[in-house]
Amino acid sequence: MGDVLNILLLQNTLRTATPVVLAALGCLMTQHVNITNIGIEGMMLTGAFFAVLGSYFAGSWVAGIACALLVGLLLGLFYYVFVIKFKSDEFIIGVALNIFAGGLTVFLLRNIFDVKGSFSDPAIVPLPTVEIPLIKDIPVIGPLLSGNTLLVYVSWLLVPVCWAFIYKTPMGFHLRASGEYPDALTAAGRSPERMKCLASVLCGLLSALAGAHLSLGYLTMFSENMSASRGYVAFACVIFGRGNPPKVFLAALLFGFIEALGLRMQKYMPSDLTAMAPYVVTVVMMVAVVLMERRKRRHAA
Amino acid sequence: MKKILSLLLCLAMLLTLGLTAMGQAEDGGELRVSLCIAETLGDLGFYDSANEGLKRLEADYGVIGSVVECKSDASMYQVALVEAAEQSDVVVAVGWQFWDGLTAVVPEMPDTKFIFVDNGLDGVGDNLMSITYAENEGSFLAGYVAMKLAQSGVVGVIGGENSDTINNFVVGYKQGALYANPEGTVLDPVYTDDYEAPDKGKEAALSLYSQGADVVYAVAGKTGLGVFEAAQEQGKYAVGVDSDQKYINPDVIICSMLKRVGDSVYDVISNYLEDSVFEGGTIWNADMSSGLVGLGYGDDTMTQQVSDELKAEVDALAEKIIAGEIVVESTR
Repeated sequence: MGDVLNILLLQNTLRTATPVVLAALGCLMTQHVNITNIGIEGMMLTGAFFAVLGSYFAGSWVAGIACALLVGLLLGLFYYVFVIKFKSDEFIIGVALNIFAGGLTVFLLRNIFDVKGSFSDPAIVPLPTVEIPLIKDIPVIGPLLSGNTLLVYVSWLLVPVCWAFIYKTPMGFHLRASGEYPDALTAAGRSPERMKCLASVLCGLLSALAGAHLSLGYLTMFSENMSASRGYVAFACVIFGRGNPPKVFLAALLFGFIEALGLRMQKYMPSDLTAMAPYVVTVVMMVAVVLMERRKRRHAA
Repeated sequence: MKKILSLLLCLAMLLTLGLTAMGQAEDGGELRVSLCIAETLGDLGFYDSANEGLKRLEADYGVIGSVVECKSDASMYQVALVEAAEQSDVVVAVGWQFWDGLTAVVPEMPDTKFIFVDNGLDGVGDNLMSITYAENEGSFLAGYVAMKLAQSGVVGVIGGENSDTINNFVVGYKQGALYANPEGTVLDPVYTDDYEAPDKGKEAALSLYSQGADVVYAVAGKTGLGVFEAAQEQGKYAVGVDSDQKYINPDVIICSMLKRVGDSVYDVISNYLEDSVFEGGTIWNADMSSGLVGLGYGDDTMTQQVSDELKAEVDALAEKIIAGEIVVESTR
């Protein structure tokens, strides 16, 4: 088992978890304003594409990130306009967004880069990796904490930032109120709609950032449908962590760990089973949440 | 009398019209060929190779080609075949996924010729020809080169799924590697269960490199693109598959195991066009002697990790395989 349980497993866990963490942070914003947003999958995919587009044409990863964020902003506004302004069904709009993102990226891939399926080119500038002096020399912790790509650290930083924003600032309080009890917010002279708009835009930005990490950090290419259901996993993590950023972060790590473990367990069980592992864990997690909630309710009674 | 004469004339004119139309269909100018792809184009390998074959047919014979991508949608496989068969004279089905669809559709469409690529299906109809490839023989050479370049004496392989076709690559590779160095180690293959996920390919390759592999053979379609990224990151080597993939990253891809799907499709259809020969009901195994499997090293402008001596050794080994002096294991 020594070849399975080692430092590389943990490195793999971090790499796999990061895009999910970023997307989940976006998703929990809309979750707090009481919108069930499954459109993050599509936001992620579009973000991944435009990050590559920006990086390729401008020759810099900064432009890639900027491009992704801009598109994330637009998608967030789009989601706000349809779901909150026009009061369409959030689920339908989410699904539509995902299908639209899949079609749009394929269309643009073929028309802008004249390739099918995937686009990789030396001209795409990847995100830089960050070596932390001193820490990188510590055994075990060094290779884990140092030498990751930029957005990995950004995602770690964003977890406490989001937590503080949601639970410790007046604006975070209003954000939650607009989901839990919008009438109270209106009575206090604040517009719930504006808070929902903010949540929607933040969700778009963070999901696009998750996509940028996929296409510029994790890999240096764009591939059709490369978000590969990570948006849904992120959503599951948000439900599991009940919208609390540190808990959501742990849920994402657990998912990353199971996927990394699955890859390494092939020696001991068939690969079809190991490929299923992350999704089995998702279902188990969901059941656990329901059971925990039920117990809590019983205690309250 | 005049009436009969004019009627006869009309009939003759109609006949000649009909005959010229038939003539056109036969001389290839209007042969319609549909390519049914089980997943999507853009894998820079297997499917794209088939598509290149079609493009060459369009250029050389003026066939009217069309491509249907099923995008791994299982409900599409049969529908795509039926639609393609209705619209064209020859249907090329690329991917094992069409097995059931062909079994059902081929007998219903006796006027359409079907070519099944990568799997052998017989007893279905005289209008179906299957092409299989001796990927085990090509992979033998790939394994030989990989082991020769692996200073650690350890090599690895990544498969798209745990299936007979993929394992046919794996057994050949393993045998070739151990032929080069009986003391060497071929790590257990890692299967990604996905041909379209470069991220999984990268993780799988990183795990193999961390176990000491110096060279990893990517037998996983688009997933393999992630393997090349991992090789770049780790400063190790990789072997490409299906097409000559060296151009994707000449610094890390030492060679590619060629499976010239496009050429085989081209050969079959050009034979049909030129000599009206279509060997329906048969399975053609394109082995080393056909020249359709082997190794590719990119072109001279690219960094060459494989020395000329080693290339000559590879050619000698290929001769031995053709002569039957080396028998490569197979899972088929």
